[in-house]
Amino acid sequence: MYTPLRIDPTKALGDIATFQRKLAAGMGHLRSMREPEYANTPRELVYSEDKLKVWHFTGHGKTTAKTPLLIVYALVNTVWMTDLQADRSMVRNLLEQGEDVYLIDWGYPDGADRWLTLDDYINGYLDRCVDAVRARHELDAINLLGICQGGAFSLCYTALHADKVKNLITMVTPVDFHTPDNMLSSWCRNMDVDLFVDTMGNIPAGLMNYVYLTLKPVRLNQQKYIGMVDILDNPTELENFLRMERWIFDSPDQAGEAFRQFIKDFYQGNKLVKGTLEIGGRPVDLGMITQPVLNIFAEQDHLVPPDASRALGKHVGTTDYTQLAFKGGHIGIYVSGRAQREVPPAIHQWLRQRG
Amino acid sequence: MADPANDFIRDYQALAQQSWDAWTRQFQQQPAANPFAPPPAPAAGNDTLERTLAGLKGYFDWMQAAAAGGAAQQPTADWRQQLQQMFGGANQPFAQAFGGIDSAGAEGFARQWQSWLQATQHSGFGDLPGTHGPTPAFGLNREQQMQQQALATALLESMQASARYQELIQRANTQGMQRLQDKLAQHAEPGRQIDSLKGLYDLWVDASEEAYAEIALSDEFREVYGEMVNTQMRVRQLQQQQTEQLCQQLGVPTRGEVSSLGERLQALRREFRASRAGAPADRADEIMALRRELTALKRQISSGAAATPAAKKATPAKPPTSAVKKSVSKAPAKVARTAVASKTKLVAASKSRPSPRKRK
Repeated sequence: MYTPLRIDPTKALGDIATFQRKLAAGMGHLRSMREPEYANTPRELVYSEDKLKVWHFTGHGKTTAKTPLLIVYALVNTVWMTDLQADRSMVRNLLEQGEDVYLIDWGYPDGADRWLTLDDYINGYLDRCVDAVRARHELDAINLLGICQGGAFSLCYTALHADKVKNLITMVTPVDFHTPDNMLSSWCRNMDVDLFVDTMGNIPAGLMNYVYLTLKPVRLNQQKYIGMVDILDNPTELENFLRMERWIFDSPDQAGEAFRQFIKDFYQGNKLVKGTLEIGGRPVDLGMITQPVLNIFAEQDHLVPPDASRALGKHVGTTDYTQLAFKGGHIGIYVSGRAQREVPPAIHQWLRQRG
Repeated sequence: MADPANDFIRDYQALAQQSWDAWTRQFQQQPAANPFAPPPAPAAGNDTLERTLAGLKGYFDWMQAAAAGGAAQQPTADWRQQLQQMFGGANQPFAQAFGGIDSAGAEGFARQWQSWLQATQHSGFGDLPGTHGPTPAFGLNREQQMQQQALATALLESMQASARYQELIQRANTQGMQRLQDKLAQHAEPGRQIDSLKGLYDLWVDASEEAYAEIALSDEFREVYGEMVNTQMRVRQLQQQQTEQLCQQLGVPTRGEVSSLGERLQALRREFRASRAGAPADRADEIMALRRELTALKRQISSGAAATPAAKKATPAKPPTSAVKKSVSKAPAKVARTAVASKTKLVAASKSRPSPRKRK
């Protein structure tokens, strides 16, 4: 009979000593590290309003796409996940494929933005951003790429402004918010969101981050940093790690009213798939989306479970619907090596097939 | 009689602890005071550092305790007992990991309540009325007494809800240990044995996260979580009410007033945009109704056309790249709708769209 534990005490002490040695050696690296920069792919400002900016990426390659692609990011976290670092940049890879890429940077809401509603975001800001890009290209319709919550916004927008969207791509986008494996949805189901927003006003980014950490508390709060000790002596890997930390925790507060509506109507009411959602008093019917749709989701997504995204296929009105299941997580779909190889080329190919 | 091996471990632990403390102090060292320097960053700015250090410290403490406890035993000892020694008592990295995320960013609700309670008591109120049950209030300060009672009640309810939440976390911890034992039992073969503290830790993380996820997705957790958030918000709401009243008496503009102005301003901005755009809401509704009608007509035409042989309609799937082949899958509903019977994983265009509509 064997025991599953065969830990040599001397080796255990050696492991502790090694751990400490790595920490001590890495201290110098950590203290000398500067704030890691994002990829900062060359870009120009083409539209701004309040705290919002629309960036046009210029890049180095030649644009072959006839229709520009506007990326609509979520309100949570910053948009720079799409352009994190030079060798992990979805934006850069899309440019290299020949796409003409625009990006909405929502900015950091403060007290003045407390009363922004989903109507203001979708029928207001987003619509004017789309108009700005359409005007630049003298086009009636452009391509939209919505990410996570931005994907849900893009779905609403396309349903409400069908003539302005030529092709729609959604990435890790929640559609059915009541799948049984959706932890975030389960947690907020019994929340009195009116009391919450009336009391908090804007929702602090720190509080949002806290909730995300508690989805996998040990892994995200401890094991990750223990893994960091192993890369303390590798400046490149350490810089990548710290850059990701910067992105995770440098996040914007949430405008109170928009948060209230999103939790009530999407997370609690699941109105997007029930067909009862209204934005600005106008019904949002996914059946109205008749343009080609590419729906990309991550198979190991702990924030937006794959089934929450897969549901889109049952509800959109288009006859040209494509799903792409990526082997990775909610963040890996943008920054992993596999993502660089697979996702932008798949997006480009899909768009090219549709003119 | 002294045990040289244990003495050695104790000495080593003491030395290791000193090294850790020194490392932490050095890392947290502040630059020399500069009278012209901007004020220090708020606590939230050090959030990552605090979390990192707390997480590493928890792991470091656990390794030390595990090395001195279970790992120091002979391999022939009862491994379950050995495991209990390594993870029992205070050696629960899970509790530390979870406790560590109650950061400044998360507002530290419990700390805030305590501060509020202390401040109220120091200001001469003594025990908060209502903490021992509601009592009738009367006289000039009736409203204030009622508010204090409501706050005390809310505080108690919130603490009770937090206690229920902590019970569930503790349950996750206990069930995580059970899962760890189950997982370890699968490693009782030569070649599969766990031979390092890191290996054991990683296995424990897997077990703990699995146990936690099961509880966190349960109806009970949903109910407790909602209650915890709602009771915390109730406390905060009552605190804000009292603060607002005080500010009003002192002539200080309140957050409620600013927020109210913000709401009116935003409403005005909407009205202004709508009037400038010159598109009344009923016109938009009319356009939307027409669009819906058009879509319905298109569907009718499409379903009528679908009666013709599918093979004539369906455009064969263009051979995808290998990467796409691997990861693209069909949407069953759409496949049925468009009668595309391709066996490739890429769902190809089944209906061509008109070319981009150029304005010029």
